[in-house]
Amino acid sequence: MRKSRSKRKSNIHLQQPTINPRDFQFMITKVAVSQICKSVGFRRSCVSALETLTLVATKYLETLVKSAASFSNAASRTQSNILDLTNALHDMSLQVGFMGASTLYDHNNNCLLKSSVLESLSDFVSSTNEIPFAKPIERAKERESEEVNAVPGSFQERGCHIPEWLPRFPDVGGTNENCDKRVNGEQLWENSSSVLGCQIDGFEEKRCGSNNVGKLPKGRSRIKFRVNNGGGTRVGLNGISCNYVFGQSKDEEEAEPVAVCEKSVKSQEKQILVYKRRKKLC
Amino acid sequence: MNHNPQSSDGKHDDDSALSDFLASLMDYAPTIPDELVEHYLAKSGFQCPDVRLIRLVAVATQKFVAEVASDALQHCKARQAAVVKDKREKQQKVIYLCLLSFLISFGLSDPLLEQDKRLILTMDDLSKSLREYGVNVKHQEYFADSPSTGIDPASREE
Repeated sequence: MRKSRSKRKSNIHLQQPTINPRDFQFMITKVAVSQICKSVGFRRSCVSALETLTLVATKYLETLVKSAASFSNAASRTQSNILDLTNALHDMSLQVGFMGASTLYDHNNNCLLKSSVLESLSDFVSSTNEIPFAKPIERAKERESEEVNAVPGSFQERGCHIPEWLPRFPDVGGTNENCDKRVNGEQLWENSSSVLGCQIDGFEEKRCGSNNVGKLPKGRSRIKFRVNNGGGTRVGLNGISCNYVFGQSKDEEEAEPVAVCEKSVKSQEKQILVYKRRKKLC
Repeated sequence: MNHNPQSSDGKHDDDSALSDFLASLMDYAPTIPDELVEHYLAKSGFQCPDVRLIRLVAVATQKFVAEVASDALQHCKARQAAVVKDKREKQQKVIYLCLLSFLISFGLSDPLLEQDKRLILTMDDLSKSLREYGVNVKHQEYFADSPSTGIDPASREE
């Protein structure tokens, strides 16, 4: 049954359309590129050709923007302006060539705002018909701003030395409360019942139940004796006369001295049980 | 920015032209949506609050795509014209005219419309036009979808 369930689950998971954000961007760009192709005069297109053109357009956009950003960074600015973009456009259109490309970096005669690339862009804007994108797209920023407005109280006032793009610090005050009670009922190890139950109270109760209360002064010291020195010292503590052979015996033979001695056999058995439990717990 | 003090009038003209162009971008809606461009800007580390620059990037990309596509269209048209020319050479003129009149009598054959229908963006034309822009695209001659793709239809039936 479990296997079949897991199989079903995996099948369902496979069947669900997974929306990859890269696919989403690619699809939007594809629609835009196909609109441009249609405006140029194509009626149909091969799928592979359209996808290739979309990919090239995306790469062009990214390269243009990255080189503009690097120009602004080289001028020790974080915000880019039209000069950076013009420089980037020049770099991108060097392959095709444009007016004034030969005197591009001649600072005496050249003004960036006179560039023929910008002129051709303005000509393009004025000459081509305006084709808006087919469908409106929801902005991601609006969603983010809504989320931010939803929890205004939890925001700490950030200092002016912290840039805006850094994430805010987690709330320090709320962490202790959160740690005390967790969702799944988990507890810290210090508070868990396995540690708290190891206290002597549990053993005291068991000793009270047995008849030989006075003969068992302290449990912990006795455990130490047994582990370190074997049976010899144990004899004196228990108050049981025992053979020398048995005194050297270890855990497996522990039942035998109890069987030999006739004094309070039941209480001895209980004691041994208590020892074993203590061993397990500790 | 460096500017030449001697041509200050020309510079003013350029500035006004540029500012007019940028102002016209405020009302212009490029085919590539602003949201998409903003996404790529943010991804590439381009910070700019000005909408006009975002539009400028979109217009530049649109111009690039439009140029590539129009080049591909020219390649496509040239190829089809060459094919038609070959056909004309092979066929006799009379037969061709008869065929044309026959088609026209049925009302099917607006030859210009048919040419429009044939305008398909293919990898051939696209790779030719992209090569001029420094992008080398090489595509497979064919894809072997199944083992029987390359085999003759007669042998496939057997």
